Amino acid sequence: MKRKFDTLSASPKLPGITMSPSRSLRERSPDPQKPIWNPRDPGQMHAVMEALHVSSIPDNVVCREDEQKRIADFCKSCIKEKKSGSMYVCGLPGTGKTLSINKVEELLVLWSKEVGFQTPETLSINCVSLPKASDLFSKMIEKFHPHLKNNACSPLQNLQKLYSQKGQPSPGNMMIIIVDEVNHLITKGQVVLLDLFMLLTLPYSRCILIGIANAINLLDRFLPILEPLNCKPTVVTFCAYSKDQILKIIQQRLGVLGYDIFEPIALEFCARKVAAASGDMRRALSVCRSAIEVFEAELRLATNKEDLNIVRFEHMEIALSRAFKTVTVHTIQSLPQHQQIILCSLVKFFRRDKKNATTLGELHRSYSETCKDMHIPPYGWFEFPDMCSALSDQGLLNIGRSKELRNKRVTLQIDSSDIRFALKEIRFFNKAVTD
Amino acid sequence: MGKVAELPKPPEGKKVKRTAKEKLLSSDLWAARIESLWKEPDGSYWLRCRWYTIPEETATGRQPHNLRRELYHFFEANNEGDDVFYCEYEYDIHWHSFKRLAEIDDSEENSRRGRVFGLQRIGTKRIPEHVRSHKQTELERAKAMLLLATLPKSLPFSIYDDQCLGLFLYIHVVPVNGKTMSVLSVMRNLRSEVDAGTMRPYCFIEINGLKLATPENIYKVIYEALSGHRVGWKKALHYLNERFSEGIKVGKQANQPCVLLIDELDLLLTRNQSVLYNVLDWPTRSHSKLVIIGIANTMDLPEKLLPRISSRMGIQRLCFGPYNYQQLQEIILTRLEGSGAFEEQAIEFASRKVAAMSGDARRALEICRRAAELADYRLKQLPPTTKMTNNDNSARKCLIGMADVESAIQEVSQAPHIRIMKTGSRLSKILLVSMVHELYKSGLSEITFDKLAATVSSLCSSNREAIPGWDTLLKVSCKLGECRIILCEEATKHKLQKLQLNFPSDVAFALKDCPEIPWLSKYL
Repeated sequence: MKRKFDTLSASPKLPGITMSPSRSLRERSPDPQKPIWNPRDPGQMHAVMEALHVSSIPDNVVCREDEQKRIADFCKSCIKEKKSGSMYVCGLPGTGKTLSINKVEELLVLWSKEVGFQTPETLSINCVSLPKASDLFSKMIEKFHPHLKNNACSPLQNLQKLYSQKGQPSPGNMMIIIVDEVNHLITKGQVVLLDLFMLLTLPYSRCILIGIANAINLLDRFLPILEPLNCKPTVVTFCAYSKDQILKIIQQRLGVLGYDIFEPIALEFCARKVAAASGDMRRALSVCRSAIEVFEAELRLATNKEDLNIVRFEHMEIALSRAFKTVTVHTIQSLPQHQQIILCSLVKFFRRDKKNATTLGELHRSYSETCKDMHIPPYGWFEFPDMCSALSDQGLLNIGRSKELRNKRVTLQIDSSDIRFALKEIRFFNKAVTD
Repeated sequence: MGKVAELPKPPEGKKVKRTAKEKLLSSDLWAARIESLWKEPDGSYWLRCRWYTIPEETATGRQPHNLRRELYHFFEANNEGDDVFYCEYEYDIHWHSFKRLAEIDDSEENSRRGRVFGLQRIGTKRIPEHVRSHKQTELERAKAMLLLATLPKSLPFSIYDDQCLGLFLYIHVVPVNGKTMSVLSVMRNLRSEVDAGTMRPYCFIEINGLKLATPENIYKVIYEALSGHRVGWKKALHYLNERFSEGIKVGKQANQPCVLLIDELDLLLTRNQSVLYNVLDWPTRSHSKLVIIGIANTMDLPEKLLPRISSRMGIQRLCFGPYNYQQLQEIILTRLEGSGAFEEQAIEFASRKVAAMSGDARRALEICRRAAELADYRLKQLPPTTKMTNNDNSARKCLIGMADVESAIQEVSQAPHIRIMKTGSRLSKILLVSMVHELYKSGLSEITFDKLAATVSSLCSSNREAIPGWDTLLKVSCKLGECRIILCEEATKHKLQKLQLNFPSDVAFALKDCPEIPWLSKYL
């Protein structure tokens, strides 16, 4: 039983394809001195995909220098004064919070070595991976004070005792605790979160606590008590990326490769769209990767050895339309006929009765009537709920919960004008939709 | 098992000639199953095979439950040969554990797992002739091909996968639309690529959200599949975090990329969505080498999730929408490759009908199969003399036509209650008609029992029928109430019991042209 497999690097390479001088102006790379990207080379393609992957972390995180500086300064001051402090970092998903803080942590380690302070120890936890919120304390004990692990008291009590006494045998290192997704620590009564912040008020604690979450007003909502106690953490907000920032980040990632992958217009279009939608960097990177895949698909179908060696605007457009797809007219038009009739009858019913919700039983009646008008035999009550649930799976309807099947509440999730627009092309539905 | 077995000694001077079976069972001979034979470019021949082992050679030894001729198979279960050995489990040398067959390993058409051999020889004399004959007519072959369990030779539509960099691909599919089949066929292709050596080996884990007791059990299942140990979900979560987020790998197979197929993804939604968050977070880390394929029914699942989870989901979506009638036609024709049993129009009619309702491939195949059965039955009803000239007839009469397809569709889509109403007793029909009559007269959908009895009496007397007594009427109405054709309150209320028709519009359709009681249509 012998098996042999190639590693990626040993795959056969096709000879590089060079540009012919008769290319159109738009497609020529702006810098003729730059090496040309060979998309048919799997090694190069893999390098590009890796550069655009969410998990590959660049060496310096651009566009977040201000925020990183603020966090770093705060931590440095805490380390210098040997006092504990807390900080709360918030922002939308995909805005680089965890990434920046990890970079800051590395920076701090280097800085403390330079300046001569004791290197701070770091503990980085993602609260979603904790089975129980109070496991956070046991993790803290495990990392920082392993000698207290098998004590009789609970971890929280151990920590409280430790930080209230003077002169412990443990070294005077500062401890940086990075708590990701703090909102998962919110339990009934917010006991865990409160205890965590209160630990820092104890006289001999030396922790710098950095909490990361999405909600800006998390602390105000759940821990208003911190303000009068004077231990309200500093808040740093990571705003959503703007179009220029997204562009800069992608260019920095691709810059290491040395050749042009995307047309400048394509990248700008992507950055503009993503910034307008959410400002989420992960989405921007996914869209870029998806554009490369569209380009690859075209490459595979290209029969002549035409030099396609740059991802163009059209590819990016296709990728973006796929990413930001909504229930379009096209989906409605590709539904089976009877499901379209159901949508039609729903629109008619709502318009006639000036309501926006109905029950399944009523809808079935309306559907049967519409079918009879169109001279199509309607489906009976047994198939009807299945068709409606197929529509709700597509996101077109919403079916409520009720014990009796006939009384389930049905509401329309999309605009009725979409349905009208989609179905008016079909002559069959013209009459049903327009009156 | 405590007794000393005395083997018969051979007569002096003669050697015992053992059959291959005996040698195998005494581990002097090893059995292997040849999976493939090929010739390398340099002229040498290679074979790929899977070894068998007898229970004595496993870590646990022969157990009381082992059958006399039971074998275990390394890493991949086999299909048994012709009544020789029985193999059901795969034995993993690393973990000394036994696992049952995974469905993906089934490369044959029908899984014969669990079938006991030799049973078809019993009672041969009593099996009627037309079933026992082995030559499959065109129709029977068509029937067999349309069975949902048989996999088609090729699937007209396909998807592709990514490797090594973490990825999440979300497939959403109209229910029962061939997603499992397509995805498994793609996994089979990938597996054959690995076997052929063109791709690095990877670890494949298949999870179904429905089969998990709670969403947190998914950690247990993944960890068990990766390492073979069974631990609680909290510990499993801890180890998986170490492996995927921090890159601490344990074990020999640790560096393989891992492909996770999660079916029914929407069942993993918990209140705080932590399970989905964790699982989807892992591909976004470096060194995780995890590829996740999630399958669900709803198109807008990513929108229903919290923004931080849908941000990690990425934008790779694959939509398996409902089929239109051309695709359904193609699917049926692909399945029936080589069989000319169906008329073309019949297939088109069936696919159009199904496409108009739901675009469901299983429905279409069921209808065609039922049509084939009906045609088969129809043919077998013919007198035996016409079956003599076999070839001639199979060309002419074996075609499944529109009539068969239509009756199949009628059967499948017709609700059972109409049939029950049509075949009910005389009195039940009269009762239903009188309820409809009252409904039209008074406009109220509910009627008390005494009013109903009065209506029935008046109907019967004006049409010269025997007037039923109240007790028979009560019995009949209870029977109808059990079938839920009428809805009734509890019978202890006697004459004040309220009754209501469950399907008011269908009564007319069912009882309109009743041959026994022609006067019913007057009242409908």
